[in-house]
Amino acid sequence: MEAAEAVRGESVGGVQALEGKYLTFALGKEEYGIGILKVREIIGLMEITAVPHTPAYIKGVINLRGRVIPVLDLRLKFEMASEEYTERTCIIVVEVQGESAAVQVGMLVDSVSEVLNVVGQEIEPPPAFGGSTETAFILGMAKVKGEVKILLDADRVIGSGELAQFEAV
Amino acid sequence: MAEVAKELSEYLDDMALQILMVEPGDLSVVGELLELTEQLIAEAGNQDGQEAIFEMAKSFNAALQKIIMGELDDSAENFDRLGQCVVQMQEVMRKDGEADEAVKRLFRESLAAAGFEIAGDVAVAAVAEPEAEVAPVAASSVNAADAPVVPTAPAAPDLDFLQDKDLLAGFVAESFEHLDSIEVNILDLEQDPDNSDIINNIFRTFHTIKGVSGFLNLKKINEVAHITENLLDDVRNNKREMDSDVIDVVLSVGDYLKEMVQNVKDVLEKGAEAYLEYDIGEYVQLVKGVQDGNGGEVEVAPAAVPAAATPPPPAAPAEENVAPPSKAATVKPSPVATPPVGRAAGPPRKKSRIGDSIKVDIEKLDGLVNAVGELVIMQSLVRQNPLVSRLADPKLNRDFSQLGRITTELQRTAMAMRMVPIRQTFQKMTRLVRDLAKKTGKTVDLIMVGEETEVDRNMVDSIYDPLVHMIRNSVDHGVQTPEERERLGKSTVGSVYLRAYQKGGNIVIEIEDDGEGLNTPKIRMKALERGLISEGDNLTDHEVQNLVFLPGFSTADQITDVSGRGVGMDVVKKAVEKLRGKVDVSSEAGKGSIFTIRLPLTLAIIDGIIVRVGVERYIIPTIAIQESIRPKKEEYNTVYGKGEALMIRDKLVPIVRLYEIFDVEPTYTDPCEALVVVIENEGIQRALMVDELLGKQEVVIKSLGGYLKDTQSVAGGTILGDGRVGLILDLASLLAKDDGGDAALVEEGSLS
Repeated sequence: MEAAEAVRGESVGGVQALEGKYLTFALGKEEYGIGILKVREIIGLMEITAVPHTPAYIKGVINLRGRVIPVLDLRLKFEMASEEYTERTCIIVVEVQGESAAVQVGMLVDSVSEVLNVVGQEIEPPPAFGGSTETAFILGMAKVKGEVKILLDADRVIGSGELAQFEAV
Repeated sequence: MAEVAKELSEYLDDMALQILMVEPGDLSVVGELLELTEQLIAEAGNQDGQEAIFEMAKSFNAALQKIIMGELDDSAENFDRLGQCVVQMQEVMRKDGEADEAVKRLFRESLAAAGFEIAGDVAVAAVAEPEAEVAPVAASSVNAADAPVVPTAPAAPDLDFLQDKDLLAGFVAESFEHLDSIEVNILDLEQDPDNSDIINNIFRTFHTIKGVSGFLNLKKINEVAHITENLLDDVRNNKREMDSDVIDVVLSVGDYLKEMVQNVKDVLEKGAEAYLEYDIGEYVQLVKGVQDGNGGEVEVAPAAVPAAATPPPPAAPAEENVAPPSKAATVKPSPVATPPVGRAAGPPRKKSRIGDSIKVDIEKLDGLVNAVGELVIMQSLVRQNPLVSRLADPKLNRDFSQLGRITTELQRTAMAMRMVPIRQTFQKMTRLVRDLAKKTGKTVDLIMVGEETEVDRNMVDSIYDPLVHMIRNSVDHGVQTPEERERLGKSTVGSVYLRAYQKGGNIVIEIEDDGEGLNTPKIRMKALERGLISEGDNLTDHEVQNLVFLPGFSTADQITDVSGRGVGMDVVKKAVEKLRGKVDVSSEAGKGSIFTIRLPLTLAIIDGIIVRVGVERYIIPTIAIQESIRPKKEEYNTVYGKGEALMIRDKLVPIVRLYEIFDVEPTYTDPCEALVVVIENEGIQRALMVDELLGKQEVVIKSLGGYLKDTQSVAGGTILGDGRVGLILDLASLLAKDDGGDAALVEEGSLS
């Protein structure tokens, strides 16, 4: 496990620093968690205006009370098969640090589950899958009541690295 | 305890504010100061653990009384020193009443410098003084203050002003405002040299900058402002004439100060490595030269300016006390203090002076505009709700229309908040014209009309460069020399008018000169030479004149050291078009020319046509649209099987299928069933194929957020009437994207 940590080169001061409240949501068969402090609000699915010349996982933009914010489909982002949207489909609006200011971005998920208090000993560092599997946006794995939740780093999921990536597209 | 400390520090804050405003001879402010001090003494005396403050305040009080009684000089220097005392008391306050020795010593020194000896004062005098021989004159206080007494001094002593960035940022903004006002005042003064009000205004401005920079420990700015203030003080007290030497010096010092303040700003933004060490020696000498030139030798002083490459004077002026040793953090009140001071020091102009104003974070303003926009949409959604609209209740209807009026008014007000008068931009031109006229040996009057016209805050800065360019052009090329004007029977003084007014949905800015006018035949010749027009083209004079806005038109014999340099009016045109405006010139040979810039009222709103392509809706800026037509079969052509084009008014216009570019499922794929919107952008014409026109609307432009800001072909989004987001097309990048295959076609098209 220590080796894994070393491989990741994570200097978060150990996984203990990750404990806190997480909003969990479902995506396919997995449960994911995202730091509650990053979450601005959760809204139901609304009509999304497609924006041309963007990667497929960028579904477009929505009107969030007069603000125009981008929405990305987390399924597509994680290269999972896309599903029909249901009435449980939600947009989680998160606020991440952009290049100059904080930006709000919506994430489409299958359904929102609960807010979970995760304590330090429940968290393990992300596993090393070997090869080039990208785990950079995973903070750690939380084992709560026998289930595993994947804790995501919102800034990395929709961080500036992403931006650079599709500036090149 | 904490509460008490807060109360006491409030008194101190007020005192700091007052002492900033105090001026020699102005005893009423000193009186207020005295009252505050007495309250402070009473409060501190009632508290345990505040003995240090109590004693310090008592000494301070005694010094103030001496000033009022005339036993001490009520000079600006002395007030500066008292200001230091307040700072030191604040320092003590910050440490919960603990006065360490360094602070006590400084306090004592500052008072001593003011000529006030503290006798038998236990708290302060009991300090064992390493520098007991400090003279009651200030001479050594500069060095003493530099001594490493500052408890929390950062590593780089030169940058210790960086401690409170908010304060500094406030100072930077205020200083720019002040410096601009100096410029305006000085130029007014040239017209009316004996107006003591104007001299006082300028004096106060330097005084304020000096005061605040002193508190912030910006030593060099402080010193430059200080010596200039001294010079102006002489002028004010009739010790010296207000002549062109003084004006020139004050102007150039103003520029220099701006440079230094700009550097402070850079340091704030980019960090300490941006810091530049300014050698103020030259300016100190320059100002002193003018000040000492008192009378006969006046002419020599400015001549010495270029020669002032001599090493700077080693020490600050003798009576200077530039280095407030305490932390900026303790002077918290001064940013708050500065605006009122600024207002007071600013030019109390003869005419309509704008009312009180506050500065608001632009983000809050945008938030308000967003919320109001959303309110309007929600209102119409509620109103159109089938359930509601079935209620045929007259009262409800009345209430709805009243609500509608209120929201419209609210929206209008919210938009108006982004607008500022164009005055500041115009006033900068005064200086420009003065300098240009001097350089070119012309006499030019700049007459400004409509400075109170309001423009979008974001536009003010962008309009500056093109204006400078055009004013230069008018003064340099337009207005003739006095001799020539005399020969032509014109008044020897040339006039340049700068007008601004609102017309329809536009802001119009006109620059008119009564000079030479454009040489239309010559322009025609040049244009022919460059192949911009052809022999057969039948152009009106007006059309020919507007050719000067084409790239590369700056004619060789126009270039002077002032304007020209190969940069033509096309730069102006580009800048104006970026603001979604238009520029035009009309001229009469021998009589002058008028350049007209038309700009939209605001950058936040765009007039657009909403079109539908499949299920998506896009907004095309109206300014680019020429016409929209349903093409007929015979107008449709394919060229070499590669591209397709429409014959519109004898020109082949390439077709752009929007649905292909945006990858949406269209209703029509046959151009003859669909509609085309003919657009023109930067001289390129295209026919955009759309399914339907939905209407014309003023839409509020919203950024798609940092995340999507670089998306091609899309300039931004807007909220449409049903609450959904519509995308605004960016024609420039749309056409550039499309250009690859069609470049050849355009050539083809324009030739036929």
